[in-house]
Amino acid sequence: MTPTAQVITSLVLLVAAPLAVGVLLGVDRKLTARMQNRVGPPILQPFYDILKLLGKRRSLLNSGQVCFAQCCLLFQLLALAVLVFGGDLLVVFFLSSAGSVFLVLGAFSANSPFSQMGAQRELLQVLAYEPVLFIVIMAVGFDQRTFLAAQIDRMLLAPLFLAFIALIPVLIIKLQKSPYDIATAHTELVSGPHIEYSGPYLAVVELAHWLEIAVLLGILSLFWYDPNIWVSIAGKATLILVAWFVVMIIDNVTARLVRKRMVSFTLSFGFTLVALNLILLHYVLPGVGL
Amino acid sequence: MTLSDRAKVRSPWILHFDTGSCNGCDLEVWALLSPKYDVERFGMVNKANPKHADILLITGPVTKKCEERLRNLYDQTPEPKLVIACGDCASTGAPFTDCYNHNHGVNNVIPVDVFVPGCACRPEAIIDAVLLAIGKWKEMSNDLPEEYGPEPDHEVRP
Repeated sequence: MTPTAQVITSLVLLVAAPLAVGVLLGVDRKLTARMQNRVGPPILQPFYDILKLLGKRRSLLNSGQVCFAQCCLLFQLLALAVLVFGGDLLVVFFLSSAGSVFLVLGAFSANSPFSQMGAQRELLQVLAYEPVLFIVIMAVGFDQRTFLAAQIDRMLLAPLFLAFIALIPVLIIKLQKSPYDIATAHTELVSGPHIEYSGPYLAVVELAHWLEIAVLLGILSLFWYDPNIWVSIAGKATLILVAWFVVMIIDNVTARLVRKRMVSFTLSFGFTLVALNLILLHYVLPGVGL
Repeated sequence: MTLSDRAKVRSPWILHFDTGSCNGCDLEVWALLSPKYDVERFGMVNKANPKHADILLITGPVTKKCEERLRNLYDQTPEPKLVIACGDCASTGAPFTDCYNHNHGVNNVIPVDVFVPGCACRPEAIIDAVLLAIGKWKEMSNDLPEEYGPEPDHEVRP
Protein backbone atom coordinates (compact mmCIF):
# COMPACT_ATOMS: atom_id res chain seq x y z
CA MET A 1 0.00 0.00 0.00
CA THR A 2 1.14 3.52 -0.73
CA PRO A 3 1.55 5.85 2.28
CA THR A 4 -1.50 7.92 1.24
CA ALA A 5 -3.71 4.84 0.97
CA GLN A 6 -2.44 3.74 4.37
CA VAL A 7 -3.38 7.05 5.99
CA ILE A 8 -6.83 6.95 4.40
CA THR A 9 -7.37 3.35 5.57
CA SER A 10 -6.34 4.30 9.09
CA LEU A 11 -8.69 7.31 9.14
CA VAL A 12 -11.58 5.17 7.91
CA LEU A 13 -10.77 2.62 10.64
CA LEU A 14 -10.66 5.39 13.27
CA VAL A 15 -14.23 6.39 12.39
CA ALA A 16 -15.55 2.89 11.68
CA ALA A 17 -14.22 1.20 14.82
CA PRO A 18 -16.43 3.07 17.36
CA LEU A 19 -19.44 2.69 15.05
CA ALA A 20 -18.76 -1.05 14.81
CA VAL A 21 -18.58 -1.19 18.62
CA GLY A 22 -21.99 0.52 18.74
CA VAL A 23 -23.48 -2.08 16.41
CA LEU A 24 -21.83 -4.89 18.40
CA LEU A 25 -23.30 -3.50 21.63
CA GLY A 26 -26.73 -3.48 19.94
CA VAL A 27 -26.31 -7.08 18.78
CA ASP A 28 -25.15 -7.93 22.30
CA ARG A 29 -28.33 -6.47 23.83
CA LYS A 30 -30.49 -8.26 21.26
CA LEU A 31 -28.81 -11.63 21.77
CA THR A 32 -28.87 -11.25 25.56
CA ALA A 33 -32.60 -10.56 25.33
CA ARG A 34 -33.11 -13.62 23.12
CA MET A 35 -31.18 -15.73 25.65
CA GLN A 36 -33.60 -14.50 28.32
CA ASN A 37 -36.60 -15.31 26.09
CA ARG A 38 -37.31 -11.62 25.40
CA VAL A 39 -37.70 -9.79 22.09
CA GLY A 40 -35.08 -7.19 22.89
CA PRO A 41 -34.36 -3.70 21.54
CA PRO A 42 -33.48 -2.90 17.90
CA ILE A 43 -29.87 -3.48 16.84
CA LEU A 44 -29.31 0.28 16.51
CA GLN A 45 -30.53 0.99 20.07
CA PRO A 46 -27.13 2.21 21.38
CA PHE A 47 -27.10 4.88 18.64
CA TYR A 48 -30.64 5.99 19.50
CA ASP A 49 -29.58 6.28 23.15
CA ILE A 50 -26.56 8.44 22.30
CA LEU A 51 -28.52 10.68 19.91
CA LYS A 52 -31.28 11.14 22.47
CA LEU A 53 -28.78 12.04 25.20
CA LEU A 54 -27.18 14.64 22.93
CA GLY A 55 -30.59 16.32 22.52
CA LYS A 56 -31.28 16.65 26.23
CA ARG A 57 -30.72 19.76 28.30
CA ARG A 58 -27.25 20.25 29.74
CA SER A 59 -26.93 20.12 33.50
CA LEU A 60 -23.74 19.64 35.45
CA LEU A 61 -22.54 19.62 39.05
CA ASN A 62 -19.20 21.32 38.45
CA SER A 63 -17.11 22.22 35.43
CA GLY A 64 -14.35 19.82 36.50
CA GLN A 65 -16.69 16.90 36.07
CA VAL A 66 -17.34 17.81 32.43
CA CYS A 67 -13.67 18.54 31.78
CA PHE A 68 -12.70 15.09 33.09
CA ALA A 69 -15.33 13.41 30.90
CA GLN A 70 -14.03 15.21 27.82
CA CYS A 71 -10.42 14.35 28.71
CA CYS A 72 -11.50 10.70 29.06
CA LEU A 73 -12.98 10.81 25.54
CA LEU A 74 -9.91 12.59 24.16
CA PHE A 75 -7.43 10.10 25.62
CA GLN A 76 -9.40 7.07 24.42
CA LEU A 77 -9.59 8.64 20.97
CA LEU A 78 -5.82 9.26 21.00
CA ALA A 79 -5.21 5.66 22.05
CA LEU A 80 -7.37 4.36 19.21
CA ALA A 81 -5.68 6.73 16.76
CA VAL A 82 -2.21 5.51 17.74
CA LEU A 83 -3.40 1.91 17.37
CA VAL A 84 -4.99 2.30 13.92
CA PHE A 85 -1.98 4.23 12.62
CA GLY A 86 0.16 1.24 13.61
CA GLY A 87 1.86 2.93 16.54
CA ASP A 88 3.45 1.63 19.72
CA LEU A 89 1.25 -0.75 21.72
CA LEU A 90 2.67 0.52 25.01
CA VAL A 91 1.67 4.08 24.11
CA VAL A 92 -1.81 2.81 23.28
CA PHE A 93 -1.97 1.08 26.66
CA PHE A 94 -0.83 4.13 28.64
CA LEU A 95 -3.14 6.55 26.78
CA SER A 96 -6.11 4.25 27.36
CA SER A 97 -5.21 3.92 31.06
CA ALA A 98 -5.03 7.70 31.36
CA GLY A 99 -8.54 7.82 29.89
CA SER A 100 -9.81 5.39 32.55
CA VAL A 101 -8.19 7.47 35.28
CA PHE A 102 -9.95 10.61 34.01
CA LEU A 103 -13.28 8.78 34.29
CA VAL A 104 -12.41 7.97 37.92
CA LEU A 105 -11.43 11.61 38.60
CA GLY A 106 -14.72 12.78 37.09
CA ALA A 107 -16.63 10.44 39.39
CA PHE A 108 -14.59 11.61 42.42
CA SER A 109 -15.35 15.26 41.62
CA ALA A 110 -19.04 14.78 42.45
CA ASN A 111 -19.91 14.88 46.12
CA SER A 112 -22.30 11.95 45.99
CA PRO A 113 -21.81 8.65 47.84
CA PHE A 114 -22.79 6.50 44.85
CA SER A 115 -20.41 8.37 42.59
CA GLN A 116 -17.57 8.10 45.11
CA MET A 117 -18.10 4.38 45.62
CA GLY A 118 -18.36 3.91 41.87
CA ALA A 119 -15.05 5.72 41.42
CA GLN A 120 -13.32 3.56 44.01
CA ARG A 121 -14.64 0.40 42.40
CA GLU A 122 -13.58 1.65 38.97
CA LEU A 123 -10.07 2.12 40.39
CA LEU A 124 -10.19 -1.45 41.68
CA GLN A 125 -11.18 -2.65 38.20
CA VAL A 126 -8.25 -0.73 36.71
CA LEU A 127 -6.05 -2.47 39.29
CA ALA A 128 -7.43 -5.85 38.19
CA TYR A 129 -7.20 -5.63 34.39
CA GLU A 130 -4.35 -3.24 33.63
CA PRO A 131 -1.50 -5.49 34.89
CA VAL A 132 -2.90 -8.41 32.86
CA LEU A 133 -3.29 -6.29 29.71
CA PHE A 134 0.21 -4.90 30.25
CA ILE A 135 1.82 -8.32 30.66
CA VAL A 136 0.03 -9.61 27.55
CA ILE A 137 1.33 -6.65 25.53
CA MET A 138 4.81 -7.35 26.93
CA ALA A 139 4.47 -10.99 25.83
CA VAL A 140 3.46 -9.85 22.34
CA GLY A 141 6.46 -7.54 22.23
CA PHE A 142 8.76 -10.30 23.46
CA ASP A 143 7.51 -12.67 20.80
CA GLN A 144 7.57 -10.17 17.92
CA ARG A 145 10.68 -8.19 19.02
CA THR A 146 8.68 -5.00 18.43
CA PHE A 147 5.84 -3.05 20.05
CA LEU A 148 4.78 -1.37 16.81
CA ALA A 149 1.35 -2.63 15.75
CA ALA A 150 2.17 -2.06 12.08
CA GLN A 151 5.22 -4.35 12.21
CA ILE A 152 3.44 -7.39 13.60
CA ASP A 153 3.69 -9.72 10.59
CA ARG A 154 3.15 -13.17 12.07
CA MET A 155 0.18 -15.05 13.47
CA LEU A 156 0.14 -14.53 17.24
CA LEU A 157 -2.81 -16.74 18.11
CA ALA A 158 -0.93 -20.03 17.87
CA PRO A 159 2.20 -19.12 19.89
CA LEU A 160 0.35 -16.89 22.37
CA PHE A 161 -2.95 -18.75 22.69
CA LEU A 162 -2.94 -18.80 26.49
CA ALA A 163 -2.16 -15.06 26.60
CA PHE A 164 -5.21 -14.52 24.39
CA ILE A 165 -7.35 -16.50 26.84
CA ALA A 166 -5.99 -14.30 29.65
CA LEU A 167 -7.60 -11.31 27.91
CA ILE A 168 -11.14 -12.73 28.28
CA PRO A 169 -11.58 -11.55 31.93
CA VAL A 170 -10.18 -8.17 30.83
CA LEU A 171 -12.84 -8.00 28.13
CA ILE A 172 -15.53 -8.93 30.69
CA ILE A 173 -14.47 -6.06 32.96
CA LYS A 174 -14.20 -3.54 30.13
CA LEU A 175 -17.61 -4.50 28.73
CA GLN A 176 -19.16 -4.12 32.24
CA LYS A 177 -20.47 -7.68 32.18
CA SER A 178 -21.19 -9.97 35.09
CA PRO A 179 -19.52 -11.52 37.07
CA TYR A 180 -17.25 -8.44 37.06
CA ASP A 181 -19.65 -5.49 36.53
CA ILE A 182 -18.38 -4.17 39.84
CA ALA A 183 -18.27 -0.41 39.20
CA THR A 184 -21.50 -0.02 37.28
CA ALA A 185 -23.38 -2.60 39.36
CA HIS A 186 -26.94 -1.60 38.56
CA THR A 187 -28.62 -3.09 41.62
CA GLU A 188 -26.05 -1.73 44.09
CA LEU A 189 -24.60 1.50 42.73
CA VAL A 190 -27.17 2.27 39.99
CA SER A 191 -24.52 3.21 37.44
CA GLY A 192 -21.44 3.89 39.54
CA PRO A 193 -19.05 6.39 37.99
CA HIS A 194 -21.65 7.45 35.38
CA ILE A 195 -24.35 8.29 37.91
CA GLU A 196 -23.81 12.05 38.17
CA TYR A 197 -23.55 12.64 34.42
CA SER A 198 -26.68 13.53 32.52
CA GLY A 199 -27.75 14.44 29.00
CA PRO A 200 -24.95 15.31 26.54
CA TYR A 201 -22.24 14.72 29.16
CA LEU A 202 -23.48 11.18 29.69
CA ALA A 203 -23.24 10.73 25.92
CA VAL A 204 -19.59 11.85 26.10
CA VAL A 205 -18.85 9.30 28.83
CA GLU A 206 -20.69 6.61 26.87
CA LEU A 207 -18.75 7.40 23.67
CA ALA A 208 -15.50 7.23 25.66
CA HIS A 209 -16.58 3.77 26.78
CA TRP A 210 -17.18 2.72 23.16
CA LEU A 211 -13.70 3.93 22.24
CA GLU A 212 -12.19 2.09 25.21
CA ILE A 213 -13.82 -1.13 23.99
CA ALA A 214 -12.62 -0.40 20.43
CA VAL A 215 -9.02 -0.09 21.70
CA LEU A 216 -9.20 -3.43 23.51
CA LEU A 217 -10.83 -5.16 20.52
CA GLY A 218 -8.08 -3.67 18.35
CA ILE A 219 -5.45 -5.28 20.58
CA LEU A 220 -7.38 -8.59 20.41
CA SER A 221 -7.47 -8.39 16.61
CA LEU A 222 -3.65 -8.17 16.46
CA PHE A 223 -3.52 -11.84 17.41
CA TRP A 224 -4.56 -12.82 13.89
CA TYR A 225 -2.36 -12.08 10.92
CA ASP A 226 -2.33 -13.35 7.36
CA PRO A 227 -0.37 -12.02 4.36
CA ASN A 228 -3.59 -11.89 2.33
CA ILE A 229 -5.43 -8.78 3.54
CA TRP A 230 -8.96 -10.21 3.12
CA VAL A 231 -8.14 -13.41 5.00
CA SER A 232 -6.52 -11.22 7.64
CA ILE A 233 -9.62 -9.02 8.01
CA ALA A 234 -11.95 -12.04 8.14
CA GLY A 235 -9.77 -13.73 10.74
CA LYS A 236 -9.54 -10.62 12.93
CA ALA A 237 -13.33 -10.13 12.77
CA THR A 238 -13.97 -13.78 13.64
CA LEU A 239 -11.57 -13.56 16.57
CA ILE A 240 -13.35 -10.48 17.97
CA LEU A 241 -16.81 -11.98 17.48
CA VAL A 242 -15.87 -15.28 19.12
CA ALA A 243 -14.30 -13.51 22.13
CA TRP A 244 -17.35 -11.24 22.49
CA PHE A 245 -19.74 -14.21 22.24
CA VAL A 246 -17.85 -16.09 24.97
CA VAL A 247 -18.11 -13.01 27.20
CA MET A 248 -21.84 -12.77 26.46
CA ILE A 249 -22.39 -16.40 27.45
CA ILE A 250 -20.41 -15.86 30.67
CA ASP A 251 -22.48 -12.73 31.36
CA ASN A 252 -25.73 -14.67 31.06
CA VAL A 253 -24.78 -17.67 33.18
CA THR A 254 -23.07 -15.97 36.11
CA ALA A 255 -24.03 -13.65 38.96
CA ARG A 256 -21.90 -10.72 40.14
CA LEU A 257 -18.95 -11.63 42.36
CA VAL A 258 -17.49 -9.52 45.15
CA ARG A 259 -14.68 -7.04 44.41
CA LYS A 260 -11.92 -9.03 46.10
CA ARG A 261 -12.55 -12.12 43.99
CA MET A 262 -12.46 -10.06 40.80
CA VAL A 263 -8.98 -8.74 41.62
CA SER A 264 -7.56 -12.03 42.86
CA PHE A 265 -8.98 -14.13 40.02
CA THR A 266 -8.14 -11.76 37.17
CA LEU A 267 -4.56 -11.24 38.35
CA SER A 268 -3.76 -14.85 39.23
CA PHE A 269 -5.49 -16.26 36.11
CA GLY A 270 -3.88 -13.71 33.80
CA PHE A 271 -0.33 -13.91 35.18
CA THR A 272 -0.41 -17.71 35.39
CA LEU A 273 -1.58 -18.15 31.82
CA VAL A 274 0.90 -15.66 30.35
CA ALA A 275 3.79 -17.16 32.36
CA LEU A 276 2.77 -20.69 31.35
CA ASN A 277 2.54 -19.56 27.73
CA LEU A 278 6.04 -18.07 27.72
CA ILE A 279 7.55 -21.09 29.51
CA LEU A 280 5.90 -23.48 27.02
CA LEU A 281 6.94 -21.36 24.06
CA HIS A 282 10.58 -20.85 25.01
CA TYR A 283 11.58 -23.87 27.08
CA VAL A 284 9.21 -26.82 26.74
CA LEU A 285 8.31 -26.78 23.03
CA PRO A 286 11.90 -26.17 21.76
CA GLY A 287 13.01 -28.91 24.20
CA VAL A 288 10.79 -31.53 22.56
CA GLY A 289 11.83 -30.38 19.11
CA LEU A 290 8.77 -28.30 18.07
CA MET B 1 -38.50 14.65 11.35
CA THR B 2 -34.74 14.69 11.80
CA LEU B 3 -32.67 11.68 12.78
CA SER B 4 -32.12 12.96 16.31
CA ASP B 5 -35.87 13.51 16.78
CA ARG B 6 -36.53 9.97 15.63
CA ALA B 7 -33.86 8.64 17.96
CA LYS B 8 -35.29 10.49 20.96
CA VAL B 9 -38.59 8.71 21.00
CA ARG B 10 -36.96 5.32 20.60
CA SER B 11 -35.05 5.47 23.83
CA PRO B 12 -37.27 6.48 26.77
CA TRP B 13 -35.38 5.70 29.95
CA ILE B 14 -37.63 5.37 32.97
CA LEU B 15 -37.39 6.18 36.65
CA HIS B 16 -39.87 4.47 38.93
CA PHE B 17 -40.67 6.15 42.26
CA ASP B 18 -43.04 4.92 44.95
CA THR B 19 -44.62 7.80 46.87
CA GLY B 20 -46.53 5.72 49.41
CA SER B 21 -48.20 3.18 47.17
CA CYS B 22 -49.48 -0.17 48.52
CA ASN B 23 -46.95 -1.80 46.11
CA GLY B 24 -49.76 -3.07 43.86
CA CYS B 25 -48.91 -0.63 41.06
CA ASP B 26 -45.18 -1.06 41.75
CA LEU B 27 -45.44 -4.77 41.02
CA GLU B 28 -47.18 -3.98 37.74
CA VAL B 29 -44.44 -1.49 36.82
CA TRP B 30 -41.80 -4.11 37.53
CA ALA B 31 -43.77 -6.64 35.46
CA LEU B 32 -43.02 -4.43 32.44
CA LEU B 33 -39.38 -5.45 32.59
CA SER B 34 -40.16 -9.18 32.66
CA PRO B 35 -39.95 -11.34 29.51
CA LYS B 36 -43.75 -11.34 29.20
CA TYR B 37 -44.07 -7.60 28.57
CA ASP B 38 -40.40 -6.82 27.74
CA VAL B 39 -40.52 -3.05 27.32
CA GLU B 40 -36.86 -3.04 26.29
CA ARG B 41 -38.17 -3.68 22.76
CA PHE B 42 -39.25 0.00 22.80
CA GLY B 43 -35.82 0.96 24.09
CA MET B 44 -37.19 1.47 27.60
CA VAL B 45 -34.69 0.75 30.35
CA ASN B 46 -35.23 1.20 34.06
CA LYS B 47 -32.36 3.51 34.95
CA ALA B 48 -33.30 4.06 38.62
CA ASN B 49 -31.51 7.39 38.39
CA PRO B 50 -33.22 10.77 37.83
CA LYS B 51 -30.22 12.19 35.99
CA HIS B 52 -30.47 9.54 33.29
CA ALA B 53 -34.27 9.33 33.14
CA ASP B 54 -36.69 10.73 30.57
CA ILE B 55 -39.98 9.36 31.87
CA LEU B 56 -40.93 9.28 35.55
CA LEU B 57 -43.36 6.49 36.48
CA ILE B 58 -44.83 7.63 39.79
CA THR B 59 -47.04 5.42 41.94
CA GLY B 60 -48.86 6.28 45.19
CA PRO B 61 -50.79 9.35 46.42
CA VAL B 62 -47.63 11.35 47.38
CA THR B 63 -47.56 11.44 51.16
CA LYS B 64 -46.46 14.70 52.81
CA LYS B 65 -43.14 13.08 53.71
CA CYS B 66 -42.55 12.12 50.09
CA GLU B 67 -43.46 15.46 48.56
CA GLU B 68 -40.05 17.07 48.90
CA ARG B 69 -38.29 13.97 47.59
CA LEU B 70 -40.56 13.78 44.54
CA ARG B 71 -39.89 17.48 43.76
CA ASN B 72 -36.17 16.85 44.14
CA LEU B 73 -36.26 13.90 41.73
CA TYR B 74 -38.29 15.93 39.24
CA ASP B 75 -35.83 18.83 39.41
CA GLN B 76 -32.85 16.52 38.89
CA THR B 77 -34.31 15.01 35.71
CA PRO B 78 -32.99 16.91 32.69
CA GLU B 79 -35.53 18.22 30.17
CA PRO B 80 -37.30 17.09 28.08
CA LYS B 81 -39.01 14.93 30.72
CA LEU B 82 -42.43 13.38 31.09
CA VAL B 83 -44.36 12.27 34.14
CA ILE B 84 -46.80 9.36 34.20
CA ALA B 85 -49.06 8.91 37.25
CA CYS B 86 -49.59 5.15 37.56
CA GLY B 87 -52.79 3.99 39.23
CA ASP B 88 -55.80 5.56 40.94
CA CYS B 89 -53.81 6.76 43.98
CA ALA B 90 -51.27 8.58 41.85
CA SER B 91 -54.01 10.06 39.67
CA THR B 92 -56.47 11.30 42.32
CA GLY B 93 -55.50 9.79 45.68
CA ALA B 94 -58.87 8.04 45.39
CA PRO B 95 -58.93 5.49 48.26
CA PHE B 96 -57.56 8.08 50.67
CA THR B 97 -59.94 10.97 49.99
CA ASP B 98 -60.04 13.44 52.94
CA CYS B 99 -56.92 11.95 54.50
CA TYR B 100 -54.76 14.61 56.16
CA ASN B 101 -51.31 13.18 55.36
CA HIS B 102 -51.05 13.17 51.57
CA ASN B 103 -51.38 15.33 48.49
CA HIS B 104 -54.26 13.63 46.64
CA GLY B 105 -52.26 12.68 43.58
CA VAL B 106 -49.01 13.45 41.79
CA ASN B 107 -50.56 16.33 39.84
CA ASN B 108 -50.72 18.47 43.00
CA VAL B 109 -46.94 18.31 43.41
CA ILE B 110 -45.42 18.12 39.91
CA PRO B 111 -47.03 18.47 36.45
CA VAL B 112 -48.31 15.14 35.11
CA ASP B 113 -48.46 14.32 31.38
CA VAL B 114 -50.39 11.04 31.36
CA PHE B 115 -52.69 9.49 33.97
CA VAL B 116 -53.11 5.70 34.11
CA PRO B 117 -56.35 4.56 35.80
CA GLY B 118 -56.75 1.27 37.63
CA CYS B 119 -56.23 -0.22 41.06
CA ALA B 120 -53.76 -1.63 40.40
CA CYS B 121 -53.13 -0.35 36.88
CA ARG B 122 -52.56 -3.07 34.28
CA PRO B 123 -49.08 -3.39 32.71
CA GLU B 124 -50.69 -3.08 29.27
CA ALA B 125 -52.18 0.26 30.36
CA ILE B 126 -48.75 1.47 31.51
CA ILE B 127 -47.16 0.51 28.17
CA ASP B 128 -49.99 2.37 26.46
CA ALA B 129 -49.36 5.40 28.67
CA VAL B 130 -45.66 5.38 27.86
CA LEU B 131 -46.45 5.28 24.13
CA LEU B 132 -48.90 8.17 24.62
CA ALA B 133 -46.20 10.07 26.49
CA ILE B 134 -43.76 9.37 23.66
CA GLY B 135 -46.33 10.86 21.24
CA LYS B 136 -46.42 13.98 23.39
CA TRP B 137 -42.63 14.06 23.53
CA LYS B 138 -42.48 13.98 19.72
CA GLU B 139 -44.59 17.13 19.54
CA MET B 140 -42.63 19.06 22.15
CA SER B 141 -39.13 18.05 21.03
CA ASN B 142 -38.91 20.63 18.23
CA ASP B 143 -39.32 23.79 20.30
CA LEU B 144 -37.53 22.75 23.47
CA PRO B 145 -35.89 26.02 24.58
CA GLU B 146 -39.08 28.18 24.48
CA GLU B 147 -41.28 25.55 26.02
CA TYR B 148 -39.18 24.99 29.11
CA GLY B 149 -38.12 28.50 30.00
CA PRO B 150 -35.10 29.18 32.21
CA GLU B 151 -33.39 26.70 34.50
CA PRO B 152 -35.00 26.24 37.95
CA ASP B 153 -33.59 28.98 40.20
CA HIS B 154 -33.96 27.06 43.45
CA GLU B 155 -31.27 24.77 44.71
CA VAL B 156 -31.14 21.23 43.34
CA ARG B 157 -29.32 18.83 45.59
CA PRO B 158 -26.81 16.49 43.92
